[in-house]
Amino acid sequence: MRRHWLVTVVMVLALALLAGAACQKAPQQAKYPTKPIEFVVPFNPGGGSDILARNIVAVIEAEKLLPQPVQVVNKAGGSGAVGYGYLAEKKGDPYYIGTVSSSFWTTPLLGGAPFNYTMFTPVAGLCYDSYVLLVRQDSKFASLEDVLNAMKDKPEGLTIGATGVSSDDRVVTYLLEKAANVKFKLVPFQSGGEVMTALLGGHIDVAWANPGEARGQLDAKQARGLAVAAEKRLEGLPDVPTFNEKGINLVFRQLRGVVMPAGAPEDAVKVMEEVLKKVSESPKWKTDYVKRNDLVPTFLGAAEFKTAIEQMNNTYKQVFEELGVLKK
Amino acid sequence: MDTLSNLLMGFSVALTPVNLLFCLLGVVMGTLIGALPGIGPSAGVAILLPVTFGMSPVTSIIMLCGIYYGAMYGGTITSVLINVPGESSSVMTAVDGYQMARKGRAGAALGIAAIGSFLAGTGGVVIFTFLAPLIARFALSFGPPEYFALMILGLTTLSGLTGRSMWKSLAAAAFGLMLSFVGMDIVTGVARFTFHRPDLLSGVDFLPVAIGLFGVGEVLASAESPAELEITRADLSLRKVFPTMADWVRSRRSILRGGVIGFLIGSLPGAGATMASFISYAVEKKSSRHPEEFGQGAIEGVAGPESANNSASVGALVPLLTLGVPGSATTAVMMGALMMYGLHPGPLLFQKNPDFVWGLVASMYIGNVLLVILNIAFIPAFVNVLRIPQRILSPLIVVFCMVGAYTLDNNLFDVWLMLLFGVLGYLMKKLDYPPAPLVLALVLGNLVETSLRQSLIISGGSMAIFVTRPISAVLLAIAAAVLLAPALRSLGRVIRVRASRA
Repeated sequence: MRRHWLVTVVMVLALALLAGAACQKAPQQAKYPTKPIEFVVPFNPGGGSDILARNIVAVIEAEKLLPQPVQVVNKAGGSGAVGYGYLAEKKGDPYYIGTVSSSFWTTPLLGGAPFNYTMFTPVAGLCYDSYVLLVRQDSKFASLEDVLNAMKDKPEGLTIGATGVSSDDRVVTYLLEKAANVKFKLVPFQSGGEVMTALLGGHIDVAWANPGEARGQLDAKQARGLAVAAEKRLEGLPDVPTFNEKGINLVFRQLRGVVMPAGAPEDAVKVMEEVLKKVSESPKWKTDYVKRNDLVPTFLGAAEFKTAIEQMNNTYKQVFEELGVLKK
Repeated sequence: MDTLSNLLMGFSVALTPVNLLFCLLGVVMGTLIGALPGIGPSAGVAILLPVTFGMSPVTSIIMLCGIYYGAMYGGTITSVLINVPGESSSVMTAVDGYQMARKGRAGAALGIAAIGSFLAGTGGVVIFTFLAPLIARFALSFGPPEYFALMILGLTTLSGLTGRSMWKSLAAAAFGLMLSFVGMDIVTGVARFTFHRPDLLSGVDFLPVAIGLFGVGEVLASAESPAELEITRADLSLRKVFPTMADWVRSRRSILRGGVIGFLIGSLPGAGATMASFISYAVEKKSSRHPEEFGQGAIEGVAGPESANNSASVGALVPLLTLGVPGSATTAVMMGALMMYGLHPGPLLFQKNPDFVWGLVASMYIGNVLLVILNIAFIPAFVNVLRIPQRILSPLIVVFCMVGAYTLDNNLFDVWLMLLFGVLGYLMKKLDYPPAPLVLALVLGNLVETSLRQSLIISGGSMAIFVTRPISAVLLAIAAAVLLAPALRSLGRVIRVRASRA
């Protein structure tokens, strides 16, 4: 008799729990988000991905685009491997989103990473960051032609600064070498700041930088932009020609955007895609983020972003294969 | 005169109630962040960065910088009291500061560190005020070959850090160098010794190693012999917790030397406060009349490095504000912050936003005064930590270390790494291997390797690049002199003895 009673209690409790769980689940499916969202930045604060994430959050907060807060969490280490690995583990959970930058593709292609681009659900692409070829202001090279001519006379090559060997700097250097049939001596540094210091100090001949990164030096006439690897001249740098204008077929840009873990529910992706579309259209976004960092704004919805991600992966894969650094 | 009127204008910005309040907030939080192991200034600035959105740029940068140099003060506290370096540039402070604390002189160590930090920090701001462009040119003259030479000089200071046995120090240093090999190779992109763990791709981080070796290692060792602490109630009385006149006389030259070394090395984007504190310690030991006291609680060993790390934090602002390139991890975060406010750091900042730059400079004078008052006023309170019985304090320290290691990158891996090095630290202590050379070699190993390979790429493989460039040649000559000096001295003695016999 006593046992009977216990069983009944357990059954009732179990039913109550189930009902509770069902109740909790119902509205969650109805309108995402019902709890705070974690925005994973796989890099340290102050870097490009961090600035992207914090600007997105600032616009969402200013325009009240989401009923729940979005919390930026930096998980740096292993060229994005730690942060992306962490995000990939949250399979199907739309309460985790992450930034996309070049390491999203390059780190897995170079091996040693617990993730690759297929482990994420594309949400939206937001902007392109360009690469400008720089020299010191008092450099003897006044133009891109000067640099390329000097390379032809000097077989051992000029030195070019790059952040690491698997970076976009390396990729765009390789593409330039191929397009212009020259060869640089690539000097790797730990950070863009170190590259710029070495350039200003005259320790290297040329260097790549994002226009936003080099704005201070360009405005102060400490560094000069020779050419930009974009489709057309940048608004912020009207005097710097594109490589294409100079007869060199070179366009290479970094694509920035937002992803969720693989298998995220479609409706949640849709909500976030809509929010990011509104972010990309807001005036605050255009002045505080796009203009300040000299970016090329764009908006790629989930489907287009998916295609773009695959294209980027192919580009990187091909270059790394030719450089002999691809891990199979 | 122009500078003075600019500075005056800066004070009018910094002394507004709002800016003054945030300066105070910044330095108080900086002290706390510095005292917490793991959360160093760069993480602290990053965590509090979002708080500053919506404030005016000058107010927020005043607060962020306050955190930066405030952390340099705060790092001392845990190093001295419980042998846990609060941040990387306080590792050397732990060596002698903790020994002083064990002898009942924690107050003196904290006091001299606060005074040294104040003098060197303020001195750094004065140099910044008048000579910033000159210092910037100095920083730019350092390319990869110069960094290589500087790091080699840093490695030779290992001989200044040795414990009782030179061979054991060298063994510890060799192990540190081997640890620095771990991670992705910057030139070829190959993952070295990572055992397919992504956590190791960016190398073995220096802080979990230092926290483990020093903090946890000490806790384990003291668990064995709990009654060793020679502190009596009388040692904690108010009269005895402040430095004496004799302490000041011993330390004043160390503070001056540490301040100058710190500012110059801090202004180099590839070196930084940690390196500055190591070199300052070595210089103090080399120039001391009683080098045998180092490692046993020499006050110069606290005064020098603490002064150096403070003026280094000011020095690191030179390349940021004058050239627009970050001089350290923390200033890199600040550069991100400046860009978010829509300011592009660089030479034009002085012309376009003079109120911003000079307001910041003026706030640093004020912040240093606030810090020295705060730090000295709270010494009696801090020292009270030592009254806590060992059996309660020790587990607290371990928890503290674990939280610290985790907050570094929000990664549990670092906690395990820290505990592993805690056990190693204990074993090293038992076997009398000094931990400092290991830590120094780990820090310098990467930098030496990178700058060597960069130099050789630039020169096309020729070693001549190191001796044909004046700065690197001079630095290497000094390094050679440091290495050969003891040998030459004993050789000289032998010759003299022989001569007198003949």
